[in-house]
Amino acid sequence: VSAAAFPSARVLRSTGPSPAFVRAVDLAGQWAAPVALLVVLLAAAVFVPKFYEPGNLTVVAIQAAVLGIVAVGQMLVLLVAGLDLSVNAVLGLGAVIVISNQQGFSVVTVLEALAIAVGVGLANGLLVAWRKVPPFIATFGMLIFVGGARLAYTHGQASGNVPGWLRVVGIGQLGPLPNATLTWLVILALTGGILLFTRYGRWIYAVGANYEAARYAGVPTREVVVACYVACSVLALVAGLVLSGYIGYVDQRLGTDFNVNSIAAAIVGGTTFSGGRGNPLGTAAGAILLSVLLDLVVVAGIPINWQLAVQGLVLVLATAIQGMRGHLLGR
Amino acid sequence: VAGTASAIAPPAAAPRLGGWRLPIDGSIVFIYALVLLVGVGAGMYSERFRDPNNLTNVLRQTIVLGLLAIGQSLVILAGGIDMSVALIARLSTLVVAVLFGNNEALIVPLLAVGLAIGAALGLINGFIITRVYASPFIVTFGMFSILSGISLAIASGPVGKIPPAYLTLYDASLGPLPVSVVVMALIWGVVWMVTTRTRFGRALFAVGGSQRVARLSAINVPRTLIGAYVLSGLFAAAGGLFILARTGVGDPKMAEGLDFQSIVAVALGGMSLSGGRGSILGTLGGVLLLGVVANMFNILQVDSFFQQLILGLVVLITVATYRTGKTT
Repeated sequence: VSAAAFPSARVLRSTGPSPAFVRAVDLAGQWAAPVALLVVLLAAAVFVPKFYEPGNLTVVAIQAAVLGIVAVGQMLVLLVAGLDLSVNAVLGLGAVIVISNQQGFSVVTVLEALAIAVGVGLANGLLVAWRKVPPFIATFGMLIFVGGARLAYTHGQASGNVPGWLRVVGIGQLGPLPNATLTWLVILALTGGILLFTRYGRWIYAVGANYEAARYAGVPTREVVVACYVACSVLALVAGLVLSGYIGYVDQRLGTDFNVNSIAAAIVGGTTFSGGRGNPLGTAAGAILLSVLLDLVVVAGIPINWQLAVQGLVLVLATAIQGMRGHLLGR
Repeated sequence: VAGTASAIAPPAAAPRLGGWRLPIDGSIVFIYALVLLVGVGAGMYSERFRDPNNLTNVLRQTIVLGLLAIGQSLVILAGGIDMSVALIARLSTLVVAVLFGNNEALIVPLLAVGLAIGAALGLINGFIITRVYASPFIVTFGMFSILSGISLAIASGPVGKIPPAYLTLYDASLGPLPVSVVVMALIWGVVWMVTTRTRFGRALFAVGGSQRVARLSAINVPRTLIGAYVLSGLFAAAGGLFILARTGVGDPKMAEGLDFQSIVAVALGGMSLSGGRGSILGTLGGVLLLGVVANMFNILQVDSFFQQLILGLVVLITVATYRTGKTT
């Protein structure tokens, strides 16, 4: 159903934005994260040199890794024009299950947590793909439900018995790189490979860009959507494990901000919320940008509550750019 | 998908000029039947629940959620969503609480200030959403973060000296009923009239049904949407100011979770969350149901952990039975 059906369409189009403007907004949408990251890093070198102390850089690297892992999942869901608000609940519940049950390595609890993550992802995907529930409502209901389950399970108490193998993943290093960052890089490479070089990757982009067209082309659209939600939940679980391994304990606040931050990272990295556009590298840049900004708030000695304002501001600005971009490109 | 001409037809519930037909819709009958069922069940089970004082209390406790849910309904009817209502309520109220300084003469001006802040924040939301075509959900979600940062900067503990006269907003009663409940009933009535019988109300339905069709029908889409967000901010601020009259202190954690609850109330009331269909009376039913359930939770002293679990379950069930598509 295009505007071409109406006689005035040609007139409207000729008075629309110039191609140069469209291209500029498109480029801004794609390159916002790397460019902003460069600017922020330069500004940090001038105003907050403490940022570059090795200890702080390691902290930022680990935090960017955790956020980056969640953001990859969020990006997959955004690519199929969805949204997952249940990531922080899955992240917390998964960590709680693995950590409160064991001292050493136990395959059973890990499988248990994995099963729950897959279950939540499946439920999200089924609600969205089969019941046609708006994604934010479905995943938001799941957020409240899983969050409630976690509270009922822990009664709000923190637990501190993080098993050794998780500590290794969370704070260990291989050469100069933290293991958390390595985990992230492996996930990025895998996701990038799948998205770029396999049929499944092309299916994801096809479903997000034009659901109906993809369906007519024989893509199993609903299955693709469900798969993206499952992947997102599982990645959130992985991030939760890495994060708890890094922090060393699990409490009620673990993962609270990951909904806003993962969406902000993916969107500032060039993913549009209308689906079909976005890539892992941009998302990675978005995750680093956000982690650096949040860390700068701490290092510069600004009251911690401004972190909330920073992440909201990044989200709103990025959404504004991507909204404009999606609107202009979709004309 | 929704670009059919039927999307801009007035809602089936709209009464003809001069007619007073009530919107008899399956989901509205269902929600009120549920309210009645839960209410009567609670009344038979618990003596404390059926105490008249408790019943007026239930009504009074639904005012805050009601105000937020009204704003939320207007935005959702127009095809948007406002995740920032609770934070708009909190921020405008904290500013008012800080400015009060136990000065009775400031009550009226500060009420105006609080409402103006709410409306202004709604205006910002609406402006961003309509000017850059950004997703309303994500913009208001980001606004949620920004406003929580700012409100923590204003206060991280209880603040403000509220003059006792201000608390009469909550306490004053008119015969057996609190004044606030009577006023709230009037507000529900006025909003219902506005949504069903005015040009703005029709525009809300039309824009929520299909922005393109609304635009082609010479409806000013941006102005309608901005109007909805401004009203949402205004009602949210009013809700916050009423909380202030109840607690008598600016609490930096106030209104927590009310954004979610307002959406749940709207969804329970059968309003289509993708816009264009539903009735404000359904939302009233949703608010009443949540109010009765919350009151029963308190009487039965249900663990707050399980309260959240049950709320989540309610949301999931509502969502799973969600009406798909836009054609009836």
